[in-house]
Amino acid sequence: MTDAVATDTRIGLATEGLRKSFGGVTAVDGASVQFHHGKVNALIGPNGSGKTTFFNCVTGMIKPDAGRATYLGDDITGKASHKIARAGIGRSFQLCRVFPRMTVMENMLVAVRSTGLRHLARPARSDADVDRARELLARVGIDHLERSEARDISYGQQKLLELAGVLMGDPETIMLDEPAGGVNPALIDRIATLVRDLNAEGKTFLIVEHNMDLVMSLSDHVVVFDRGRQICEGPPSVVQSDPRVLEAYLGI
Amino acid sequence: MSLFFQSLVLGVLLGGLYALLAAGLTLYFGVMRVVMIAHSAFLILAAYLAWFFTTETGLDPLLSLVVTVPLFFVTGVLMQRLLISRLRPATLTMMSVLLTFSVALVIEGMLGFVFSGTQRRIRLPYSGDSIDLFGANIAVVKLIAFALAAVSLGALFLILKKTQFGQALRATIQHPDAARLIGINTDRIAGYGFGLGLSTAAIGGTALALDSTIYPSLHWHWIGPLMAIIVVGGLGSIPGAAIAAMLLGLGQSLLQIPLGTTWAQTLFYVALFATLMVRPQGFFGGRLAQRF
Amino acid sequence: MRSVSRAVGLLVLAVAVLAFPSLAPDPFILSVGVVIMSYAVLATSWNFVGGFTGYISLGHASYSGLGAYATALLVIHTSLNPWVAMLLGGLVVAALAVPIGIASLRVRGASFVIVSIAMVLILLLVFQSWGEFTGGSNGLRVPRPFDESVLRPEQHERFFYLHAALLAVALLAWWAIDRSRFGTGLKAIREDEDKAQSLGVPTFNYKLTAFVISAFFTALGGGLYALWFGFLDPIFQFSILVGSYMVLMSLLGGIRSLFGPLLGAVIVGYAVEFFKNQYGDTQFHLVAMGLLLGLVVLFMPDGIIPALSSLLNRFRPQAASIREVSAGDLAEQRRTASAATSTDDESTDRLSEGAQR
Repeated sequence: MTDAVATDTRIGLATEGLRKSFGGVTAVDGASVQFHHGKVNALIGPNGSGKTTFFNCVTGMIKPDAGRATYLGDDITGKASHKIARAGIGRSFQLCRVFPRMTVMENMLVAVRSTGLRHLARPARSDADVDRARELLARVGIDHLERSEARDISYGQQKLLELAGVLMGDPETIMLDEPAGGVNPALIDRIATLVRDLNAEGKTFLIVEHNMDLVMSLSDHVVVFDRGRQICEGPPSVVQSDPRVLEAYLGI
Repeated sequence: MSLFFQSLVLGVLLGGLYALLAAGLTLYFGVMRVVMIAHSAFLILAAYLAWFFTTETGLDPLLSLVVTVPLFFVTGVLMQRLLISRLRPATLTMMSVLLTFSVALVIEGMLGFVFSGTQRRIRLPYSGDSIDLFGANIAVVKLIAFALAAVSLGALFLILKKTQFGQALRATIQHPDAARLIGINTDRIAGYGFGLGLSTAAIGGTALALDSTIYPSLHWHWIGPLMAIIVVGGLGSIPGAAIAAMLLGLGQSLLQIPLGTTWAQTLFYVALFATLMVRPQGFFGGRLAQRF
Repeated sequence: MRSVSRAVGLLVLAVAVLAFPSLAPDPFILSVGVVIMSYAVLATSWNFVGGFTGYISLGHASYSGLGAYATALLVIHTSLNPWVAMLLGGLVVAALAVPIGIASLRVRGASFVIVSIAMVLILLLVFQSWGEFTGGSNGLRVPRPFDESVLRPEQHERFFYLHAALLAVALLAWWAIDRSRFGTGLKAIREDEDKAQSLGVPTFNYKLTAFVISAFFTALGGGLYALWFGFLDPIFQFSILVGSYMVLMSLLGGIRSLFGPLLGAVIVGYAVEFFKNQYGDTQFHLVAMGLLLGLVVLFMPDGIIPALSSLLNRFRPQAASIREVSAGDLAEQRRTASAATSTDDESTDRLSEGAQR
């Protein structure tokens, strides 16, 4: 990254004392985190450290019990997830979610931004949208599958479709929950390249990932979670050698 | 005043039966996310079996429980194993409604087929007896029905709280994935949960047969109030269902004085709508409801 | 190819519907035709919410019943033109559907079904008890829109065409939504509601809109039926069974298909009328209905139309391979078009194609 970017430390997504518990189990326990806008941020931590719950709280899938979430200074705590999507935050899901009985193209068109009633009657396939969808599908490399139903394509292709679908909504910030989970090494490289390219074009990323090689090579800023809160943050090289991280992962 | 007190007592007695039946509905919903429309059809089936048992043998209808409870338990397990578990998880809630609805239709139709649409009532030597309870005149059969419901509800509570099976069942209700992780066979537990739920219908049906006139389509009068109860109580919460059942049973009984029986029934639906508008997750717990 | 066969199919369907009254051997068969058409209207209307959003309403008899009573009461009390009354009745019911929808769609799934059943039960209660306004259990006589000089068979024929026209409008609306942006959002809700919302679809508003449209068409269907039949009894209007007919018909035909509910209505409607005629009012039709619904849910939840088309594809190997070929073609075109692209592109192509095989 260039020097100009390095000095840019604008805070994008941030939380303060975010808390969520299920029954007796506290999944997110007062997490106060700041992610850098315009960068590739990674959120790591051992299994069950509350990363996905944190994701879900921030994107409005579930309501936090306490605390605040802000995006570029605006309060987004507890907002409905479609409003958060419209605020410019797109997300993928841990176990890749696409609409199985819709074609690849239809999957893409769901995310087209449409506000107001007059858009409702518009044909789903306006040329401009279809062209843009094709462009994005080509970019992730599955444009030849446009007419297949999403349930008929492979898991890796579904992951690419999900990413393309998120991009269709043109979000500023993209949250990916385990983008490399369950896919082969060739595809991981492909996804990594996409993330890097998109970041160079100005997209912010927030990635939850278990593949440490990928995290360390891809991200500018790493946040480590343990037991529902942040225990350490910084550039990958710093985080990697932090004793608290080793302790959390290995239980030393 | 004594009319009011009488209604109050009758309300509590009715609420007890509602509570038992609503607990059954909650169990199905808890373990499988299934809205079991056929619950009240099984209730009427059990009532018919009790009536049939008594008219054929001349024995007390309560003795029919010896047969109906195990029979319904097994039926519940089989129903979960053979029917419900075949449905795709993605559409389980909606499709299970349809499936249990179709079971209800078959039961209603078969009852009409076998026993005809004639209204039936058990005649017992103590049918007309009543006790004076602090100035309220209460039929003995209603007291027996309540006692049956109360004892069963207590037993259900003990099973859920004290036994290992109960713990596994509660774990399955609260967090199926976590339950699987700690080695609970959630499929089997769900089957038993279904059987347990259907057993409440067996007991409730026998209690119902003691003092009610029964006919095949009677189950529609029960399923509406029962579903309202589990929503008000918070889908998936057994204590919530019990509290809501008591309150609504009391309310219905008291409203019968100024409004009459028919309009008093609308209380359940008013409560249902009010709950969904104000607090869709239910008033007494029921974390599950948020997601469903 | 596909659009031609579709046009031919539509033409055959239209001709069959238009010719039916003149082909019907006697007024009874004609009246059965009207009943089946009425079922088709109701099932297609049901499918606005069931098919698009996947929310199954077992209580759509509420809206057909309300539409019927609204039409009848407007005609009786305001001496309004019956057709205006019918339309107005539809709008009144659509307005009523808004709060009902808000209450039942705010939380997912189960409460929607519960409310749908509760609505039928509560309306039955109210309409039976509120005698002076609704006629109560004695029923309500609805004045006929055509005067006495129009004879029975002629009445049936006119109402057959009226129902067919309403069906055509409902089908057109369904088709238009199906290919609209709104429809794409609704189908996404059916597939995965959380995911749809995370992509920015305002799921609640979409569901509510579909629900209100569905209630509107269902009410029109109920109103038209009331004007034809001329008599309303709460026990038949607000019947769980009528609501479940709509579900069974749509499900059997296929809720994802435009003509699924129509096909289901023809099959189930014919069967119901046949059983009623043959066996009278026994409990047998309940059992048959229950078994059929159970079998459809367990073994054919996608309905006849998708099952048939996949069966056809299996027997026509060339048809099945069309998609494969075109997909391969597209990939080929892309490869030649962007010959200068990086090796990265190539590797994904191989990857995705490998996975496809």
